[in-house]
Amino acid sequence: MKKTLMNIIKSAVFLCLFGLAIAATVVIVKRKESDYKYTDFFNEAKKDHIDVLFMGSSHVINAINPVFLFEEYGITSYNMGGHGAMLQATYWELQQALEYCTPKWVVVDTYMLEKNIKYLDNREEFDDEDEVNTSVEQLHLNMDAWPLNNLKRAAIDDLIQDDGVKKEFLYEFIIYHNRWKYLNESDFKTITGTADRNRLFGAEMRYEVELEPEKYPEVSESDLLTEDTVGTEYLEKIIELCQERGIPVVLTYYPFVADTKDQAAAIRAGQIADSFDVPYINMLDLDIIDIYSDLNDHGHLNVVGAKKVSDYMGQWLSETGDLVDHRGDESFSYWQECVDNFNEELDDTLFSEDNLYIKLDLLGLEDYNFVLYVNGNSPVFLDDYLKRMIRKSSMSNKIASTSGPYIIVNDNSTGYIYEACGSEELRAMNTAMGTLNYQPVEQYFRLLYSDEDPDTNYLYDEAHYLNDIQLIIYDEDGDVLEHDYYKSNGGNYVR
Amino acid sequence: MPLVSTEFFIFLPIVVVINFLVPRKFKYVWLFVTSLFFYASIDVKSAAVLVISIAFSYGFGLLLEKSKLNSATGKASKGILAFAIVIHIAILIACKYLNFIEKTILSLSGRGEEAVNLNLLATLGVSFYMLKIIGYLIDVYRDDLIAEKNPLKVGLYVSFFPQITQGPIERAKNMLPQFNFPLTVDYDMLRDGILEIIWGYFLKLVVADRLAIYVNNVYTTPEMAVGFTTLVATVFYTFEIYTDFAGYSHIVIGISRILGIDVMENFKCPYLASSIAGFWRRWHISLSTWLRDYLYIPLGGNRKGTARKYLNIMIVFFVSGLWHGAGWTFVVWGILHGLFQVIGYVLKPVRDWCVNVFKVERNAFSHRVLKVAVTFLLVNFAWVFFRATSISEALLIIKNSFVFTPWMLADGSLFKHGLDNADFFVAIVGLIIVVVTDLVNYNGFVIRERILKQGIWIRYIIVIAAIISILVFGIWGPGYDSSAFIYQVF
Repeated sequence: MKKTLMNIIKSAVFLCLFGLAIAATVVIVKRKESDYKYTDFFNEAKKDHIDVLFMGSSHVINAINPVFLFEEYGITSYNMGGHGAMLQATYWELQQALEYCTPKWVVVDTYMLEKNIKYLDNREEFDDEDEVNTSVEQLHLNMDAWPLNNLKRAAIDDLIQDDGVKKEFLYEFIIYHNRWKYLNESDFKTITGTADRNRLFGAEMRYEVELEPEKYPEVSESDLLTEDTVGTEYLEKIIELCQERGIPVVLTYYPFVADTKDQAAAIRAGQIADSFDVPYINMLDLDIIDIYSDLNDHGHLNVVGAKKVSDYMGQWLSETGDLVDHRGDESFSYWQECVDNFNEELDDTLFSEDNLYIKLDLLGLEDYNFVLYVNGNSPVFLDDYLKRMIRKSSMSNKIASTSGPYIIVNDNSTGYIYEACGSEELRAMNTAMGTLNYQPVEQYFRLLYSDEDPDTNYLYDEAHYLNDIQLIIYDEDGDVLEHDYYKSNGGNYVR
Repeated sequence: MPLVSTEFFIFLPIVVVINFLVPRKFKYVWLFVTSLFFYASIDVKSAAVLVISIAFSYGFGLLLEKSKLNSATGKASKGILAFAIVIHIAILIACKYLNFIEKTILSLSGRGEEAVNLNLLATLGVSFYMLKIIGYLIDVYRDDLIAEKNPLKVGLYVSFFPQITQGPIERAKNMLPQFNFPLTVDYDMLRDGILEIIWGYFLKLVVADRLAIYVNNVYTTPEMAVGFTTLVATVFYTFEIYTDFAGYSHIVIGISRILGIDVMENFKCPYLASSIAGFWRRWHISLSTWLRDYLYIPLGGNRKGTARKYLNIMIVFFVSGLWHGAGWTFVVWGILHGLFQVIGYVLKPVRDWCVNVFKVERNAFSHRVLKVAVTFLLVNFAWVFFRATSISEALLIIKNSFVFTPWMLADGSLFKHGLDNADFFVAIVGLIIVVVTDLVNYNGFVIRERILKQGIWIRYIIVIAAIISILVFGIWGPGYDSSAFIYQVF
């Protein structure tokens, strides 16, 4: 009897240890993208810190930066956007989110409203196999972080058709055990709760610049979306869900290069908003972004575009939403920490960026001062894309009609912008670096000096005299933070 | 319900727990019911064939027993046995060989493409349980065994679920007494059985199925791989089939043990054999001893002269090849093994002469290593036919293997066939573990027993680490068909 009892105890101890080891293994090998995105959601929702939820697809992920919203408006929000998330996925995502918090506003982007695909793994409904794989893969980003419960089972039942694929969502270990070869430090830190997480509250900022955005024809009467789709069905469900719970909802259509069917979907979203008497912001019709500098690619905004859209939404919510400004509130210090963190990241990106287009775009976002000099007959004067970026900074058309040399001094500290081309000189420019003077002497010799230190010529360096572009970035104290030389190679600018 | 499936991992503990609770004299009933359920869960139609075969074996067994008592000459018994064997072979042919026969006949007249599916049922494990039945009937005929009166016990012998799809081809005289007097499973048997199962799953999921990725990649498009890439594939297959089948056998032995049934060993470090005959004493022992006891010896064995002995060997290996698969590649594989042995016997005087002339110390380590290496290479060579889908494909693989491209071992070519460098590393580590384990087993050192003698914490760590390794490094889950064991299709 004693022996049997001992055996039972030993077996129980073994099973406990075994269970712990399995649990740890499951956590370690799990793909972390979803946890990375939602860790702060769970943390902040627990503290009832989330006032606004932004729902939708990757358009939302890239368009709304909660860090901007907190920094500028004191609004605490979470970006719940999912890559490739159609409205049915958004609906279930919102259901799950509402289990953890009751926001004061829900903002739903209506991109992909026209999609009439019920199951995300239905191969017959997608154009090709890759699309299905991507669709299922992307759903993992939305779903993996949520605990296994009846709601998650219902969501997967509704979104996925194949029983095998359903199991992949409910018991992720069956697919993630294969991740052993990709494990890194962060995977193991999950055990101690110190793994990396998204410090932008679900957002992701992109930094590329789409130089050639396509233009699509305007939507006509015959293109309008008149029939009901799975997208419209779930948009209505989302609105009803919010209204049932007494949460105000606003529909949006964030800006990008919209084709005809997107424009039609945006119009239909407005009709649905009207029928439910909820506000709707169609940013395709608003002059919020510059498609020549604010897009990362055809469909997604870059960080500059995100700033503009976030600003617009921040202003709208501040005016309409009756939201509390949490800035300065000690209990929201983590949000301020994330703001500081992001600003540092933005600085790092600016200074480490080699791409001149992106650099100029980012300079427009930051408060830094800069001098951009382009030598005479530089290929820059044949590059419409770069001239467009420069025009954006100078807010004049001077660069368009010159073959150089050209200089722009953009001094945010004083609020002045100085510009000269050809043989023009600039005298007594009031800048944070002092009183600057510019004088183009000859092709490879030009002067930029301050009255305070006339011996330092910022534009001439023997080692770089052949470089046709110079970029000097300086701060409000006049300290030069970066002095870059670029050489043009067609449209490619090498630092 | 494959052995690598969620359903099986739910099914097994239930069977084990209830088997533990069921009174000893009724355990066979429970095991028979679960065995039928297990088999029916794979395919109901195949289960019907199984039940019919059980009924035949039970009936013929009793008939043989009765005829032995009634007939002094034994002629009637011989007739009944022959009839029973013909019936069971007919079932086997109907389920497995009709396509092969049809295709062969049509191919002779150049119309091989016109072949249609004639096999009545793709019955899983039919080759295995038919040999069990035939062995049982021959044992009854030979008076080695009294025919079992209880049909459920005969049914359990034939259908015992761990063995039904891939053996071992257990003897009735070993199994039936255990159903009458089953062992009571104690804590030690449970631990021992579980360790055996873990080792089996390690061999199958971590090693065999990983090697299979590379092997399948090369064998699917043999014209795309030349040189060492192909050579590595042939060596990998040699280990794949071993770890796959031995893995299954370990799982079966382990499961049987925790059900209180002792099952025969099926492998004894086969790649450490120093001759082909030795290899067959270590590889798929239940089949090779079956062929020896029920075919080779009845044919006359080595008692009827040298020529007849060689003929008997060739017949046995021809049958072995055909038993493994309904295809000429399997027949060639069997014949090769027969030829290796016959040639070995024919050349024995020459080998002995060489040993004397060169004063080779037969027991020297180097000589033993040489013999093991030569045997391994011959076995490896024959496996190419076993794995290839046609003889021409096998010849292409062999031809490609002889192209000398050693740089492929270093230039990353090996990582382009389904296994990246991390997976390749795990495969090699797995192989090292297999080889080292076989080497120590060969020298009488049973690792499992050593583990069980360790302190509790070390045992726990080893077992937990082993299971986690299988779960993490094992090839399973979506995208992989790890459920199918190679020998399952035979």
